[in-house]
Amino acid sequence: MAINDKDFEQLRDFIYNICGMYFHTTKKYFLESRLTRRMEATGAKTYQDYFLMLKSPRGSEELKFLMDEITTNETYFFRNVPQLAALENKLLPELVEAKNKMGFRKLRIWSAASSSGEEAYTMAMILLEKRSTLLKDWIIEIVGTDINETVITQAKEGIYNAYSVRNIPDAYKRKYIREDNGRFILSPEVKKFVTFNKLNLYEDSKMIFMKSFDFIFCANVLIYFDTASKSKVVQHFYNNLQPYGYFFVGQSESLHGVNDKFKTVHFPGGFGYKK
Amino acid sequence: MDKSQMMERAEILVGAVDDLPTIPIVATKVLQLLDNPDVSVEEVADLMLSDQVMTARVMKLINSPVYKPTQEITSLKRALVYLGLRHVRELALTTSVINAFDGTSGALELNAFWEHSFGVGMVSKIIAQKIGYQDLEKAYISGIIHDLGEVFLSNFLREPFMEVLEYIKVHPVKLVDAEAELLGTTHCEIGLCMARKWNFPDAYCDVIAYHHSPGEANVDPILCAIVNLADLFCTVRELNYGGREWISFNLSDEEAWTILKNESPTFANMDVERFCYELDDAIPDVKELVSSIFSPA
Repeated sequence: MAINDKDFEQLRDFIYNICGMYFHTTKKYFLESRLTRRMEATGAKTYQDYFLMLKSPRGSEELKFLMDEITTNETYFFRNVPQLAALENKLLPELVEAKNKMGFRKLRIWSAASSSGEEAYTMAMILLEKRSTLLKDWIIEIVGTDINETVITQAKEGIYNAYSVRNIPDAYKRKYIREDNGRFILSPEVKKFVTFNKLNLYEDSKMIFMKSFDFIFCANVLIYFDTASKSKVVQHFYNNLQPYGYFFVGQSESLHGVNDKFKTVHFPGGFGYKK
Repeated sequence: MDKSQMMERAEILVGAVDDLPTIPIVATKVLQLLDNPDVSVEEVADLMLSDQVMTARVMKLINSPVYKPTQEITSLKRALVYLGLRHVRELALTTSVINAFDGTSGALELNAFWEHSFGVGMVSKIIAQKIGYQDLEKAYISGIIHDLGEVFLSNFLREPFMEVLEYIKVHPVKLVDAEAELLGTTHCEIGLCMARKWNFPDAYCDVIAYHHSPGEANVDPILCAIVNLADLFCTVRELNYGGREWISFNLSDEEAWTILKNESPTFANMDVERFCYELDDAIPDVKELVSSIFSPA
């Protein structure tokens, strides 16, 4: 069923206010098709009916199903291109300069919802390229954490499908990926920079030990948390971030109203958060 | 580099150009006519109609998403009534500026230049609205003309300006800083010289000169801060001369942000993230507006 502008805006605002995720107008047809599935499943006849149900007491249950539909649980290498470009061209060189002055040549990066490892390994590839220049003699530590042990096992294996590797620039692909019968195998050179552990972001006693990171990534996870949990988790990220570091969320996410300590730093096509 | 030295250099550069585009006589006459408090809509319409290009542009602008008439406006006289004579002055100014550079070629692609300019105009208007600034059209026009000096650099200092554009491709610095470094002056000083030559009202001269340093503005620092912020947002959200300029900014460090927060305390609570995402959504409208203005009548 075609969604009109008013219904689209209403649902977009609702999802944004509850989850902190913005649906761009270009995603209207995507939202439309996913909503249609949920409407069929719940018996809602119109978008208005469905919207009213979402707002009703049983709405929080339905919202989980809707979120599963609208956040394709996909991940792939070199996913957030503007973010990576900013990091590589500006944020990383600035950070390296600042830490060089202090004589502290160590870089720590955390992929806080690492899934099968693509984000963490993307960072490893980018940094590896700078091993002989910007990051010469630097210690690099990349940590990936996830609540799900199955994906952690996959991450440790470092074997991917064509979909996962489709965005890797050719120069990187040639160097760090080997194809074997439709499977794409990551080179040990990249793998050795990254360690993966199980971690529940809700678990305060574990979170306080994730110390001193320069860059923290947490994409498309906070959208599932309620505001109070979001604030708590983001506060941990804030505490665990170095003074020069940056915290990044996913491409259409927003921390507005979640944490007022972070400062937003804008760059072409995106933004990051700084202490 | 010292500001007065940059101004001196700009004056020399602008003074050395013999064929600087002029603002059409009709525009100047319209501006003069509108200074007369008893002027009638008919008189202004008659005068503007004598310049077909200007008339066509006014009609396109008035029917654009920015002014959002409920029905398409098809006669110039109705357009003037709809806008109110107060705003015609600004419209005459904008359309003349567009005309002055139409068909010219330089280091910058004009389409991308106007997309940035109209984008800054649109965002300036939105910010003006948010802080309760009294004259939204003025904010809009200020955004459109803020970077006039760039067209001069692009057309008349083509080679050195190309070097500036090459430089910012590999160095993450602002365009204005690269200009100061490599050209000894910037589009702000150059634009101011042109605006003075063209007898622009003071507030617009101010915006052109101080849209990168709103705290130094003489006439209307708030207006300069609005345009400064709109410029920053457009530059990071795809309305940036076709991806040429690199900018990163921390809002809380920006002078413009402080100026506008003082002006309107509620502005500090603005949902900046959402603002950016909504801006992404508005980009196609801006591109469409620009292509409609520049499409053959």
